[in-house]
Amino acid sequence: MTQGKYATEYTAADQMVISAARQIKNTDTVYVGVGLPMQAGVLAKNYHAPNCTIIIENGIVRASLFPLPRATDTLGSQSFAEQLSGLFYVNCLAQAGYITTGFMGGGQIDRWGNVNDTAVGDYRNPIHRWPGSGGGNDVMSFCGRTVVILEQTKRRFLEKVDFNTCPGYFDGKPGQREEIGLRPNTGPVAVITDLATYTFENREMTLKTVHTGCGVTLDQVKAELSWDVRVAQDLKDTEPPTVDEMRVYKEKIVGARAVPPGARPPGAPSQGAPPR
Amino acid sequence: MPGKVMTMKEAVSQNVKSGNLLFIGGAQHGSPNAAVYEILRQRIDHLTVVALLATFSTLVGEGLVDMLLTGYFQLDEKRSFALQRARAKGKFPIVKEYSHFGIAQALYAGYMGVPFMPTRSQIGSDMPVYNENIKSITDPFGGGHVGAVKAIVPDVGILHVQRCDADGNAQRWGTLGVDHEGINASKRIIITTEKIVDGDVIRRDPNRTIIPGFRVNAVVEQPFGAYPVHLAGCYNDGPGGFGGAQDEATWEKNLQDTVYGVKDWNEYLENLKKVNGADFLEKIRIKNPAFSEPVITGI
Repeated sequence: MTQGKYATEYTAADQMVISAARQIKNTDTVYVGVGLPMQAGVLAKNYHAPNCTIIIENGIVRASLFPLPRATDTLGSQSFAEQLSGLFYVNCLAQAGYITTGFMGGGQIDRWGNVNDTAVGDYRNPIHRWPGSGGGNDVMSFCGRTVVILEQTKRRFLEKVDFNTCPGYFDGKPGQREEIGLRPNTGPVAVITDLATYTFENREMTLKTVHTGCGVTLDQVKAELSWDVRVAQDLKDTEPPTVDEMRVYKEKIVGARAVPPGARPPGAPSQGAPPR
Repeated sequence: MPGKVMTMKEAVSQNVKSGNLLFIGGAQHGSPNAAVYEILRQRIDHLTVVALLATFSTLVGEGLVDMLLTGYFQLDEKRSFALQRARAKGKFPIVKEYSHFGIAQALYAGYMGVPFMPTRSQIGSDMPVYNENIKSITDPFGGGHVGAVKAIVPDVGILHVQRCDADGNAQRWGTLGVDHEGINASKRIIITTEKIVDGDVIRRDPNRTIIPGFRVNAVVEQPFGAYPVHLAGCYNDGPGGFGGAQDEATWEKNLQDTVYGVKDWNEYLENLKKVNGADFLEKIRIKNPAFSEPVITGI
């Protein structure tokens, strides 16, 4: 029996969803994709951010509580929404600056927060293909703060992505997003993995916390990156799930999952597995 | 005025031609699967397909698609038997990749009758390097760089709806994906509907009409026309789906069951009931319908 504030039994996958959920504030309007982003959104809404509004790409706006759907568009994700419209409408909300926070996955990510959902290797003769942008480019282009959630491996975390599907900060020089026509004060602000969390300092991905509570070491984190990552001066241990967070997470997310994380229900979009 | 109500066979043969640019509605919701499978049955080829998250991989695998305009599609040949099959037939489609909003905006430009839409999507990404339909331009009003996505005007669009009258006034609800933009951008329009209703039903809730009758060429009554995809107010997802075939034998069997071995969708549905029980389709109907407050109109 846990007496302390923090849960003692949890996995890196649990930590990933819970750390991601903590990125959502009670006043946020959140654009979530399928899978881990949706789980983080529903957890936040059930726990610390009951007033956040969750927006799902197909045109769904949800301000009240709803159960975790098994895919982005189901009768469950539609039923009793505050608004049902279309993909055009919700992306207009985003493009015009009314969505504070975007949550997305990705195939590869690089030092400057650019995300590849398209091809490994040469586009015309790829080593591996993912299904493409989907709404990923739109989320990253439009939202005030974009949080990227993905499993960390050396092949996914690169100095420079092979194909830039969702621009972060390009090669890191200031002002490039605004120069090409993206709104100011947009772009990636955090990366949450199964090993660590990152922020962006001067547009560069910066290691902020390590999931030491589930046994991850700094060396392990660095071994799963392809460049010499910038480390925050105040590098910390990731705050473990609290007992209360874990209780809500188990009830509302784990209990509602139709499939284990990473598996793909038939017809549900997925970023696909990375090449091994 | 010639009648618009016709069979699926007539609607498709009269409106979908080889070489057409085809819009398929229903992004993850209420896709017009019965109509898509009639296109397969008639083997209408050299299609360019614009669609998001709708059912078109079978068209690709049967070698009927020359080009895809889309934002998300299983393009890993190792995992996609449809692509492997298209490759083997020498019919691997050209794929023009957009973001989802890029497709929505391209269709919206077509719907508006303008040549392109300015956008903040896709710019700066590598997508425009390989898709000449996305450019960066200079804002003529002094706002710096902005993206531009070229209009898409489908020759024919197909949408499945919950209800439609005999004149083609079609009403659809639930999530709309790119349905509104895509069907209104299309030159010729096929509406497949769960039910043909009296015009009075439409006129009591006219805000729900997604496309007016004068724009519609064909109306086909087709219950379970989106099966196995869910449709708001009607039914949940059916078990399985068509996309799973990963070998030639399964692929052929699926097509025999759904297309070549049956004369139409209704025969396919009847066969489903024979195999899975008479109440098979009834079991996926929604169990707890929620009724809205009536929308009051009148004078």
